[in-house]
Amino acid sequence: MSTNAVSFTGVEKTYRRPGLLRAAYNTAVKDLSFEIRAGEVTGLLGLNGAGKTTIMKLLTGLLFPTAGRVRVFGHAPSEGAAKGKVGFLPELPYFPPQVKPGEALSYYGRLSGLSGAGLALAVREAIERTGLEPHAGKRVSEFSKGMLQRLGLAQALLHRPELLVLDEPVSGLDPLAIHDIRGLLAGLNAEGRTVFLSSHSISEVEKLADRVLIMVKGRLAATVDRARWEAAPGGLEAIFVEAVR
Amino acid sequence: MRILRLTWAVAVNSFSESVRHRFFTLFSVFAFTAIYASVLAGVMAVDQEARVLTDFGLALMELTALAFAIFNAASVLPKEAETKTIYLVFSRPVPRGVYLAGKLAGSLLTSALMLAVMGAMHLLLLKVRGFGVPPCYGWALAGSMLKLCVITSFAFFVSLFSTSAVSTMVISGVVWTAGHFASETRFLADQSAGVKSAGLKAAMWLIPNLQLFNARDLSGAACSIAPPAFLSAAAWVGGSYLAALWLISKKEF
Amino acid sequence: MARSALPLAALLAWAVGAAVSNSCYRSPFPPPSEIRTPVAGAAGDMFSLAFGLRRLFADVWFIRLMQYYGTPEFCEHEEEEPSAHAHHHCGINGEGKYPQFLARSRHVVEIDPGFRMAALYGAGSLAFNMGRPAEARELLVYALKYSPREWKYLNVLAAIGYSKAEDPAAVAALIAPILKDPDCPVMLKQQAAFLNKKIGNYSAAAAIYADIAATSRDLAYVRNAERELEKLLRKPPARPGRG
Repeated sequence: MSTNAVSFTGVEKTYRRPGLLRAAYNTAVKDLSFEIRAGEVTGLLGLNGAGKTTIMKLLTGLLFPTAGRVRVFGHAPSEGAAKGKVGFLPELPYFPPQVKPGEALSYYGRLSGLSGAGLALAVREAIERTGLEPHAGKRVSEFSKGMLQRLGLAQALLHRPELLVLDEPVSGLDPLAIHDIRGLLAGLNAEGRTVFLSSHSISEVEKLADRVLIMVKGRLAATVDRARWEAAPGGLEAIFVEAVR
Repeated sequence: MRILRLTWAVAVNSFSESVRHRFFTLFSVFAFTAIYASVLAGVMAVDQEARVLTDFGLALMELTALAFAIFNAASVLPKEAETKTIYLVFSRPVPRGVYLAGKLAGSLLTSALMLAVMGAMHLLLLKVRGFGVPPCYGWALAGSMLKLCVITSFAFFVSLFSTSAVSTMVISGVVWTAGHFASETRFLADQSAGVKSAGLKAAMWLIPNLQLFNARDLSGAACSIAPPAFLSAAAWVGGSYLAALWLISKKEF
Repeated sequence: MARSALPLAALLAWAVGAAVSNSCYRSPFPPPSEIRTPVAGAAGDMFSLAFGLRRLFADVWFIRLMQYYGTPEFCEHEEEEPSAHAHHHCGINGEGKYPQFLARSRHVVEIDPGFRMAALYGAGSLAFNMGRPAEARELLVYALKYSPREWKYLNVLAAIGYSKAEDPAAVAALIAPILKDPDCPVMLKQQAAFLNKKIGNYSAAAAIYADIAATSRDLAYVRNAERELEKLLRKPPARPGRG
């Protein structure tokens, strides 16, 4: 059993956009190597276009690396053994407007291999943990952005994943929702789950993460431990600004 | 077993989304109105009213179901990719082939329901006009369903490489019409020679022969669909599915 | 499954579908070279083939045929006296020239050779109403090409032969079995009733008129049948004989 939840080794991802005469190529991440230890909370920081979402997608098997190797609990991300251990919250998750949260979660629970009483229990728990209970009778069309984000988180938690991959989990949320989600993630980490989250909000990552990866133009510019940024004058923000300049 | 459960879950979800979608309601209303309009044509045909009502109804049902099936097949995969719903599916242990099969099954279930509902409305209309169930009615519906299976799976395949839903619909529409020209193509291939004949013969291999399932246009004892036609339909659906699977397995989201 | 195997498997499956279809499918329809569009309608014919809607478009052509046949023609003397305002309609009882009738009725059969009622209607009208047995025979011979075992066509062909020989009893006898068939056009029924009346077989004629009155949806035929029934009821019973 690997002690690393995630490992990237020399990973490169180049997007190819077909054109009329010739294709255009854009390298999103290059020569990327890092590990995420099981049980830790790792933050991913970077400016727009730094390659954060590409890393998240490589990790969940939605993209395939052009070069290098990605492993999730020792498996390729496209393998079922890896996917069964991952819960993914994409940025701005979408749910059909006419469904209720329970229906949406039941569907994703089934896709995660749950059924019968186990599925019902998992749906109930996910709704409770994300604070969606008062809104369980509403349709998704009536949901605010914060409620949608909670529902997105609930679908990621359904199958009790060992690794949570969260792309901008607090983006656009009000302070109360951010507080609740932060508490939820801290609780999940306390249960031993690995959390890997990307964010534009340095202060949020600073509050949650044990370690932070800073991406600059597709390359890993710095890996910073909590001890380092707590000791640094200006904290994580100063380190980030220095790295991206 | 797990694969079947997953396929069923995707199929049921796809089916219920289609049924909830307002287009389904719109098409149902359209079909009902169109069938009602055929009563007028029936009156013009005096003693052939039963035949005209049957033919108008069956044709309109097939065209309505076709329009919905092609629209649905052309837009369902691009829409899931666009809304990122597909992220929530493919980040789970759901094989891409299972997802594709589930989506296809959901789309076909919707078409089957659509034909069944319109068929019931049509039979009711015939009953109101004093006619019974027309001969070969079941075969006509079965033939329409087989055609829809072939064209829907083909549209799924096309939607994975075409640049827009509209182009998928246009390509599928062209195949639908070319598929009904199979006997004419064969005739012309036999009559011509050289490159023209070779081109027409190639078309006979590339374009599914939808006349094979056109029980609606036949009458009497010859209207049943022969078992080899079911085999052909299964092979064409399977071919489109495998080609779509090849594309989706390489596709990044 | 290896990704490279998928396109090969797809092609193989597609080829199996085409091979099975090519080996088992024989078109029951006339080839395109036989389709002669009599009036502006090529687009409709193309549509009927492209969408597999032969029956529907045959229905449309048949309705057009009936509309054509139902439109009264002007008599020749009108053309001779263009200043005269007293227009006289011909063809109210099905007589008239209707020069496109054969082409139009043949076109219905070209589009849907299974439309037996249309072939019988066309042939009956040509032979018995318009006195053009050669054209009626041409239509039936064409229809027989795609329904070679259709006894109703053979019977009408024979009836046309007897009609030419002015043997109404034989014509009536040949038409009689067709009358019970759902494909039998009401025009042929009326013809049979008329022939039976002509040869003095009033009970058979009355039975046919009663059938027309009960089953037809064409009001003109129904009213005519009711009138004839009334007349027949007033007649003293007569022994059937050759008239």
